[in-house]
Amino acid sequence: MRRIFATLAVVAFATAAQAHQLNVFAFVEDSTVVVETKFSNGNLPVSGDVRVLNAQSDLLMTLPLGTDGTLRFPLDRKVAAEGMTIEVTTGEGHEDYWILTPEDIARGSGS
Amino acid sequence: MQMNTLCRRSVLGMLLSVTAMPLAAQDRPVVATDNYPLAYFADRLGGGAVDTVFLVPAGTDPSFWRPGIADISEIQSADVIALNGAGFSTWPTKASLPRSRTIDTSAGFGDRLIRTDTVTHSHGEGGEHSHAATASYTWLDFALAQEQVKVLADAMARQMPDNAASIARERDVLLADLDALDTRAMVLSDQPGAGPVIASHPRYHYFAAAYDLEITALEWDATEDPTDAQWATLETMIADTGARHFIWEAEPSAAAQRRMSALGLTDVVFSPLANTPSEGSFIDRMRGALDALESAFQEN
Repeated sequence: MRRIFATLAVVAFATAAQAHQLNVFAFVEDSTVVVETKFSNGNLPVSGDVRVLNAQSDLLMTLPLGTDGTLRFPLDRKVAAEGMTIEVTTGEGHEDYWILTPEDIARGSGS
Repeated sequence: MQMNTLCRRSVLGMLLSVTAMPLAAQDRPVVATDNYPLAYFADRLGGGAVDTVFLVPAGTDPSFWRPGIADISEIQSADVIALNGAGFSTWPTKASLPRSRTIDTSAGFGDRLIRTDTVTHSHGEGGEHSHAATASYTWLDFALAQEQVKVLADAMARQMPDNAASIARERDVLLADLDALDTRAMVLSDQPGAGPVIASHPRYHYFAAAYDLEITALEWDATEDPTDAQWATLETMIADTGARHFIWEAEPSAAAQRRMSALGLTDVVFSPLANTPSEGSFIDRMRGALDALESAFQEN
């Protein structure tokens, strides 16, 4: 009864994947927003843009990603109250985002 | 003086009763989910004593939903955050979710997940490469849906110990409903006209695997009429597979249905229900889909 399952599974596993999706993580530490990026294969992006959006999805600023795949910038207290979304586009064309809620920020900033 | 005191007491009493109302509402346990089937299961398990939060707007594919900051805040505060897993949605990997209250309802049957064709594309200096994919509509195998219900029920009982007894009772009723669907689906392939099926979208991997059906999928947009090129692809697929049945993921236009009929295919609408249906419940809609398929398989 379950022969199709086996067929589907075999077809799928036959193709080895070389996945390298971008993963973005952001947190707040000592009133500084820290953005970290990494590809799923472990490599670090060497260039890219970091866009910071407020709760209304308005673009607040665009900053360059560091060559180590990270970025740090001072936390804006006004933005902190509503949270922010961090969008990253790498030079290779991969995109990802991370959402920081006011609760996340409060935990990280010790407020 | 007495009057003033009474007034003050009355006002204070009113204030307390008014402020108590939202508190009482907030005290109800909350389950947040990333798809409709889990929201339906949570609602059934809660038996009216639990609030379910499923924030994906109607008409939006929950797999591609991007939540707002307020959405994540609401989800973070839920007592249980139930995720389908199997790569169903990406947003849970793009925000902090409390590990102790977040469950992957398909993690227990990882060895039964179906890997699908990989997506290959090219950009930058890396050349052509592939991203692995996993079929994620696990609940269309009603036996797997039952496993997801058990995981959800356990998590709800753990987080809501006062409701544990009623959750266990509701779980058994829900499992029986899903078992009935599973039993019905098992005999579909025994129908005299059962044979290869073409689907408008690749949603039915688990359904096909569980119920011994051969389903080949197109990549048609559920909200648009197929183009001439897409009809031509379908004709080729009919020739290749010998299919006599077609599954629409969503209600097609009358014109599309006429054209399908002209191609000699018996078509049925079988929504996988990733998002909330405009009418009917999960169980009702799945029963309806099985009725339609059984009827179609008896016709040929």
